[in-house]
Amino acid sequence: MNDPTQNPIAHGAAEETLRLIARLSAPQGLEDRVYAGLHSRPRRGRILSWPAAPRLDSSWMRSAAAAAIVFVVAGGGWGIYSRVQQPQAKVIALPTHVAAPGGFSSAGAMRTPNTLNGPVLAHTVTAQKKQVKPAAKTPAPAAQKPHRSVAPSAAGKAATQAATQATAPAAK
Amino acid sequence: MSASQAVFAGWMEIPNSAVTDEARTRAEEETLAALVSQYSGTLYRVAFSVLRNPADAEDAVQEAFLRVLRHRDTLDQVRDRRVWLIRIVWNIVLDRKRRAKTRPETDDVAELARVLPSDGLTAEQIASAAQHHAHVLACIDQLPAKERQVLMLSAFEELSSVEIASVLGITESSVRSRLFRARNLVAGLLNHSRSTHPRSLR
Repeated sequence: MNDPTQNPIAHGAAEETLRLIARLSAPQGLEDRVYAGLHSRPRRGRILSWPAAPRLDSSWMRSAAAAAIVFVVAGGGWGIYSRVQQPQAKVIALPTHVAAPGGFSSAGAMRTPNTLNGPVLAHTVTAQKKQVKPAAKTPAPAAQKPHRSVAPSAAGKAATQAATQATAPAAK
Repeated sequence: MSASQAVFAGWMEIPNSAVTDEARTRAEEETLAALVSQYSGTLYRVAFSVLRNPADAEDAVQEAFLRVLRHRDTLDQVRDRRVWLIRIVWNIVLDRKRRAKTRPETDDVAELARVLPSDGLTAEQIASAAQHHAHVLACIDQLPAKERQVLMLSAFEELSSVEIASVLGITESSVRSRLFRARNLVAGLLNHSRSTHPRSLR
């Protein structure tokens, strides 16, 4: 390693340069600018003082004031806590989608049930009209039918009665 | 007075009056003004020795006093305010230097030619001197940080080795050993550059 005492020129050059810089005079007006910069800084907040400060001379008033502060703080905290708790209880838990065991995966597709076709009003109205119309217009044939059917049934009834009367003494 | 009364008395204590606050604020302002007028020049030179730019150095001084303003409540506890202020500005300029890109030597030449005293010198001599000093500073920049910092602070005549140790947060013996190493290294670098570029250190 070089000894600085053996290189006086080099050693002196470094020291000379650094001393030259260290002796430089500060620019004019530096103090004023720095001081002005400090005054233009954002001011910190001031504590406002009450125009009429409450006189808390007695001890019970101080206790009451402290209790009131504690009550307000605790009440506020409880209010916030209770409000925060409510939405958590209303959360609806959705059922988890269980894949069919052993089968193919549904690839995320949701099953939607086939909805039934609702009643078509126009169709039913025309059907009722078709059913009602013939009943209203043809009352006579419907009334004649029992007459036609009554006659053979009465004759049949008489024949069966005669047959039962004839077979009864024979059985006796 | 019972224990609860004592506690509540502490809680409910009314702060100092506005008159006391104003007096305290005025005293702080006066102290700060005295610090600015007394040490701004020294702080500027310390900042300029590292940053080598007048505007940056002035900004660093401004920032240093803003930090002082933040800690004005503890100002009475400071033993040596001059060393304390130099330490603040030293940390600021080192931080800025670390963040900034390395200055090219041509910038230093131009800045030194403008700043260095030029009484009785021709323009050519001023340019030559500026080039020489810029080259020396470039060699100093090649030193390791620890040695470089000690060497730069030792150039300030108003700082003793004890004060340099206080600024850097090291022992006085470390300052001496680092200074010795720094001088050796810079001499070697300058000799090497003399042998390779003979005109640069003329």
